[in-house]
Amino acid sequence: MAPDSQAFNTPADLDRLLDDRIGEGWFSVHRDAFRDPAVFELEMKHIFEATWNFVGLESQVPNPNDFLTTVIGRSPVVVMRDAQGRLGAFLNSCRHKGAVIFHTSEGNGAHHSCPYHGWTYDTAGKCIAITSQRQAGYPEQFGKTDHGLARVARFESYRGLLFASLAEDVPSLADYLGDARRAIDIIVDQGRDGIELVPGAVSFTYNANWKFQLENSSDTYHFIPTHTSYIGVLEKRRSARAASAPAGSIYEDIGAQAASRRGSFTFPHGHVLMWGDNPNMSARPLYPMLAEIEARVGKVRAKWMMYVRNLTLFPNVQFAENASMQLRIIRPLAVDRTEMLTYCVAPKGEPAESRVKRLRQYEDFFNPTGFATPDDTSAYEACQRGGDARTLDWQQGYVRGMGAVQAGGNAEAAELGITPDTSMVGGYLMGDETIFHGNYRAWLALLKRGLEKR
Amino acid sequence: MIADLAAATALLTLEGMLLDEQDWDGWLALYEADAEFWMPAWKSETQPTEDPLRELSMIYYPDRTGLEDRVQRIRSGKSVASTPLRRTAHIAGNVMLAGEEGGILSVKSSFNVHVYDTRTKTQHVFFGRTTHGLVRRDGALRIRRKKVILANDCVPTMLDIYCV
Repeated sequence: MAPDSQAFNTPADLDRLLDDRIGEGWFSVHRDAFRDPAVFELEMKHIFEATWNFVGLESQVPNPNDFLTTVIGRSPVVVMRDAQGRLGAFLNSCRHKGAVIFHTSEGNGAHHSCPYHGWTYDTAGKCIAITSQRQAGYPEQFGKTDHGLARVARFESYRGLLFASLAEDVPSLADYLGDARRAIDIIVDQGRDGIELVPGAVSFTYNANWKFQLENSSDTYHFIPTHTSYIGVLEKRRSARAASAPAGSIYEDIGAQAASRRGSFTFPHGHVLMWGDNPNMSARPLYPMLAEIEARVGKVRAKWMMYVRNLTLFPNVQFAENASMQLRIIRPLAVDRTEMLTYCVAPKGEPAESRVKRLRQYEDFFNPTGFATPDDTSAYEACQRGGDARTLDWQQGYVRGMGAVQAGGNAEAAELGITPDTSMVGGYLMGDETIFHGNYRAWLALLKRGLEKR
Repeated sequence: MIADLAAATALLTLEGMLLDEQDWDGWLALYEADAEFWMPAWKSETQPTEDPLRELSMIYYPDRTGLEDRVQRIRSGKSVASTPLRRTAHIAGNVMLAGEEGGILSVKSSFNVHVYDTRTKTQHVFFGRTTHGLVRRDGALRIRRKKVILANDCVPTMLDIYCV
């Protein structure tokens, strides 16, 4: 389909994608943001390839010479420990003809040879052998050229979460994450020894724009309408089990959830946190460890661990903790196609019965083979197809919750010791959509920055 | 020997046909009440997960109620992923007997399931290997265990119980 948009040449051209008039009580995103291939190209270059991206957890590469592979924007990347255990991030591309060197999602090895002509690299990225170099007749200049794997411009970690940027001119990771780090702490501190990925990764694709996933993770409004069939299954399970038997999910009693609060924070650089009371906290796999956690981190932070919390670290990673905890890595493939890589996250060393509960909740809710995510992704696809109605331009609804949102922090922010850009708290049925404003302001700012530099 | 190859092949063929015809009650009736259904996730390019109590599965139900839940959702009309339902064609092949232990006959097979989405007019094939654990009840074979190794595990949008 031919894009019917005007070109984006200057930062001002981007203003037609976002109508941010919060002072007048209005905010909207133009449908071209979800359907115009030209916008997607700008997003790749000026967002994903121009800022920090989540690339993995340190616990995925615990030993010397361990590696994991990922993608930043369009660029294949390898994260690896060298023989001394130092972490590095490199473009996964042979300097000869560009072939990918690392072909698996994870692995270990001291030396890695390109399968094409045999150029060989060590785990510090150094090119240690060029096949039959002495017999090759290379000119002198070739010997003076660095043939090592290209280092990604910036690479830092926060509490075991690894981030990399293809662009040099980004803030420090600590500044980029800002107070969203406190939400990461709530995740990492759940285990005395931190968190780990449960063995088994699940990936899926959907035929819609990546920003539908970006939004959906913070979208409390959709839960009951989209997941009616899942809620129906949980209601059946609840009525089938003995009253004294433990609940299998926090959503088994959807009435209690619907009577609880939901809140949101937005942070600089596009990060957002959706949170909510959890009246059914005993259904959490973490619940049996609550006493130990309270003793270790205090009652307030322990309470936040029991809350429903969905965290988006812009642009490519989300931690969703409602029915157990999911790590989601968003990889946009095209304006109308997205790949998701997902993991179940658990505190290290959790009891066997908690692990079983975590797994069953996770598979039911989060898997593309489960009861909930297929309805989310099918809804995104419906939005993408319906969004092709070309005579319609602006999305409606981003002002939902505007009556409850305030600048800066609130009482809940004070509990966490954070100063967000905005705070909101309301009833479950408020279904706040102002949380997306934080995503889109950073989105537009990065796109504009890119066009300014051009 | 509680069954021969022909009877096992007939059961696998029947299971696929019942799913294609969306005869959910007929399909559930093939399963014992304590039937375990397991589709592991993959933990590397070569290794599926091995322990559904410690590692992630794509689907794991310790008994038939999980399958009954799936049918409830499909029939609810309230799942956008399931309404309208995709059309399927199941092909089971390479069926072979793989031993008998504790009264359970192990049967291995390969599957191709063609899935067609009427909304987008797109299609996909899920394929892999299946191991059925079969028992004889009231003169007929029934499913006591089913393990599905999905080879192409990057799922396009969704995979429901009728897609494997």
